[in-house]
Amino acid sequence: MLKEFSYLAPKNKTQLLKLLAEHTGKPGVGKTAKILAGGTDILVNIRNGFDKTDLLIDIKKIGEYSKLDFNKTKGLLIGANVTYIQLINNKNVKKHYPVLIETAGKVGSPQLRNRGTIIGNICTASPAADMSRSLLCLGAEVNIVSIKGSRSMKLKDFFKGVKKTALKAGEIVESITIPIDMADAKYGDEKLKRIKGHDLAQAAVSIVKKDKVLRVAISSCAIVPVLLKDFKSNVSSATVCKEALKSISPIDDIRASKDYRIHMVKTYIKRIMDKI
Amino acid sequence: MKINVKVNGKKYERDVRENMTLLRFIREEIGLTGTKEGCGVGECGACTVILNGKTVNSCIVLAVEADGTVIETIEGEAKNGKMSKLQNSFHEHHAVQCGFCTPGMVLSAKTLLKENPKPSEHEIKEALEGNFCRCTGYQQIIEAIQDASGQMKK
Repeated sequence: MLKEFSYLAPKNKTQLLKLLAEHTGKPGVGKTAKILAGGTDILVNIRNGFDKTDLLIDIKKIGEYSKLDFNKTKGLLIGANVTYIQLINNKNVKKHYPVLIETAGKVGSPQLRNRGTIIGNICTASPAADMSRSLLCLGAEVNIVSIKGSRSMKLKDFFKGVKKTALKAGEIVESITIPIDMADAKYGDEKLKRIKGHDLAQAAVSIVKKDKVLRVAISSCAIVPVLLKDFKSNVSSATVCKEALKSISPIDDIRASKDYRIHMVKTYIKRIMDKI
Repeated sequence: MKINVKVNGKKYERDVRENMTLLRFIREEIGLTGTKEGCGVGECGACTVILNGKTVNSCIVLAVEADGTVIETIEGEAKNGKMSKLQNSFHEHHAVQCGFCTPGMVLSAKTLLKENPKPSEHEIKEALEGNFCRCTGYQQIIEAIQDASGQMKK
């Protein structure tokens, strides 16, 4: 049984931004509102009693948020309603950004991939978020909007802590832009988990390489997903490993020890770099 | 809030509370109890239904979100009292023990075969990633799906 809450489904962006401005959760200012897209995180949190939201604002009726557009100069635009399965089945993504499909395919189960959204994955801001690795490597930008205006920032600056983001009250991430410069890059992604399907990562690494640049992102090894500084494409895996160990701070927990996570990050970096 | 849905070809209009899950709606409002609640948090797949052609965990979808959608549940599988080919195959291969996961398994398999009529063993396993079975060890379920897709060596 879920706790009681209100539910609103605005039909356009103007209605949505007005609602978000009215319900910021500040004392005396409307209700505590949260965005409902796929619901695969928030409804679980409500069910488990971790989330006290008293208004869910469903954005699935806002048509412009379903955009998944590729443009040869601007790159890829992923709207807030785009699900994992829509990304996986998109021809342009398959052709130009296959690393996104690789990581999207590792999220949960078919049922969750049919429902969950890419931007939801980012906004939940789990240190283990599968989409964070590929999006960080591709230099993704987060486009944020509120009734006061819009702003954009690099995804690496969006993650602020375990399940904490740079989003302020009244704001929503309406899309992610992936620049064209890393289109058609070579790539590899490795995720450590107990079973092949439906499990959280204990450590995971994505690497993309194009022209003179090699980029590495690591998840489940710090309080936020980590993007290393750009390397030259002829860098040695030993140098990348050394740099990685300076940037991550894995913990011992029920799922894996710190030493095991570090060992696997090094193993994955070598494995992917041998391949690409 | 008032919602309209089509379940197994039949239209329903109901007034539901915002915090009612699609799972509870199907079981308690419509009375179709073939869809089961296992974990209640989108892990086990016992509550799988097909929503607008895609499998979802109905325990983490709100009934109000399903307004205007087309839903298929396990009760829509058998026609005129006769089990579907897929259901028969589950029966023949002993792919059912306690039966709790079976409705979800059948619907995940049905969606797989619609998109990929001759799946490999690996593809079958991937398609069932979100459906847990604690009785059979999965092998009989995989065989049932291989047989239903005409790929069983006899």
